[in-house]
Amino acid sequence: MLLEVSHLTKRYGEFAAVDDVSFSIAAGEILGLLGPNGAGKTTTIHMLLGLIAPSAGEVRVFGRRFDDHREAILEQMNFSSPYVSFPLRLTVMENLEVFARLYNIAQPRRRIAEMLELFGIQHLARKPIAKLSSGENTRVGLCKAMLNNPRLLLLDEPTAYLDPEIAWQVKQVLLRAQRDMGTTILFTSHNMLEVERMCGRIVFMHRGRVIAAGSPIEITRAILKEERSEPALEEVFLRVVRLEEAGV
Amino acid sequence: MKRNRVGAIMLRHAYEVRRNFDRITDMVYWPVLDIVVWGFFTVYLSNRAGAGGGIAGFLLGAAILWGMFYAFQRDMAVGFLDELWSRNLINLFSTPLAVSEYLCGLIVVNLFKVAAGALCAALVAWACYAFNIFPRLLDLVPFMIDLMLFGLALGVFTSGLIFRYATRIQGLAWSFAGLLLPVSCVFYPLSALPRPLRAVAWMLPTTHAFEGMRQVLAGGGFAAAHFWWALGLDALYFVLAAMFFRWMFESSRRLGLLVKLE
Repeated sequence: MLLEVSHLTKRYGEFAAVDDVSFSIAAGEILGLLGPNGAGKTTTIHMLLGLIAPSAGEVRVFGRRFDDHREAILEQMNFSSPYVSFPLRLTVMENLEVFARLYNIAQPRRRIAEMLELFGIQHLARKPIAKLSSGENTRVGLCKAMLNNPRLLLLDEPTAYLDPEIAWQVKQVLLRAQRDMGTTILFTSHNMLEVERMCGRIVFMHRGRVIAAGSPIEITRAILKEERSEPALEEVFLRVVRLEEAGV
Repeated sequence: MKRNRVGAIMLRHAYEVRRNFDRITDMVYWPVLDIVVWGFFTVYLSNRAGAGGGIAGFLLGAAILWGMFYAFQRDMAVGFLDELWSRNLINLFSTPLAVSEYLCGLIVVNLFKVAAGALCAALVAWACYAFNIFPRLLDLVPFMIDLMLFGLALGVFTSGLIFRYATRIQGLAWSFAGLLLPVSCVFYPLSALPRPLRAVAWMLPTTHAFEGMRQVLAGGGFAAAHFWWALGLDALYFVLAAMFFRWMFESSRRLGLLVKLE
C-alpha cells in the first residue's frame, strides 16, 4: 500500500474532529474522501501532511512512518487546496520558482512553463497573485501541486471555484497523471458526480468517523440500504446530511 | 539542512523586498530618518553646550547600531507575518521544508537587508554630520554581531509567539525591542541608570554591545570583556528562544492552529 492510515484520531478536548479513522490507498489509485462539512476530511489531510499532530494513530506513506521520515516523504508528495494562498505581491512565476526550489526541481523555469501550459494559465505568469480570480488561484495551486511529479497527491476540493469547462480540463489532467505516471490521488470534493467519475474507491466520513468505504456503488448501497444498479452519491450525501440535521 | 530549501526561502523574501514597497521603506527609510533626526540633535548639542564631537559620535553610532538591532529582530518576526498575512504557511510546511531551513533563509536575507539599511545610515551620517564610522568598523563589527545574534534570539522568540497566537500579538514585532531600549544603555552609559536597573541592564547583550561601542568610539580600543559577555548572553538567549519556538510550534501543531493561523 502506498498510504496506510491506522486508527488516526484528532481530539480537541472532548471533541473528536477525526475519530479512529483507518484506510489505505494502493499505488496508482484515486481515492475519494467524502463527507459533509465538519466530517473531518480536511483535518485528515492536514494530519497526512504533518501540519496537525494526531492525538493517536499512525500514518505510513511509501511504507515508512511519516513521523520518522517527514522530509523524504514530503519530497514525493504534494498538496493543493483552493483555501490556501500564495504571497500576494509575488507573481505566479515567482511563487512557483520558490516552490520549484523547495522541491529541488531541475530546470525549474521549463517545468513551470510546462505546468502553466498544462492548466492553461501561461498568460498569467507575470501577474501578481493578488490580481488573480479565485479560479485562477486554484489553478496556480494545482501547478504547484504537480511541479515535483508527486507519487502521492492530496487534493482538497481541487475543482472548487472552477467553471465546468475548466473543472473538466483539470480532471483530465489529473486522470492523465494517474494513467501515465501512476500518480496516486486522494481527493475530496462536494461534487458527487465528479467523485463518481474520478474515484475507484471512496471513504465516506461523518462526524470524524468512517461510516462506509468501497466503490461508489457499494457506498450507495451501504448508506441508502437499498439495492441499486447505479451509484447515487448525491443521494447518499443528502441522506447523511438530513440524518445529521435530524440529530440521528 | 538542504541548501536548495534555504535558497528557496531567500528567494521568496528577496522577491518580497522587490515587490513590497513597505519592505523597502523598513529597510532604508527608517534607519536614514533616525540618523537625520539624531544628526540635527548632535549639531544642536555641539553648538549649544560645547559638547565635544565624542558625544555626537556616541549618539550617531548608537543610532546606527540600534537601527540594525531593531530592524533585524523586527524583520525576523515580519518574515513569518508575511506568510501568515498571505495564508502561505500551509503551502510552505506541506513541502519538505524544515523550520530550521526557513529560519536560516530568513536570517540570510535579513542580514543583507540590515546591512543595506546600516550602510545608507552610515553614509548619511558621514556626508551630513561628518561622523565617519568606517575607520573603526573592524572594532565595531564584533558588537554588531552581538546585536544581530540578540536580534535573532528576540526574532525567534516573537516568531514563536506568532505561531501560537497569530496576528493577535503581531504588534510585538515592532514594539518588543522598544521595551528593552531604556535598559539597554543605547544612548547613555550604564552608570546613568538607577542602581537597581543596572543588574537588569547587565543581563542584556545590548548593554554590553553599546558599552563596547562607546569604548571603541572614544578611542579606548576593542572592549573584549563586553564582547564576550554579550556573546555568552546571546548564546543563552538564543538557546532559550529556540526551545521556546519549538515548544510554540509543536503546541500549534498539536492544537491544530498551524492550519488556522490568520
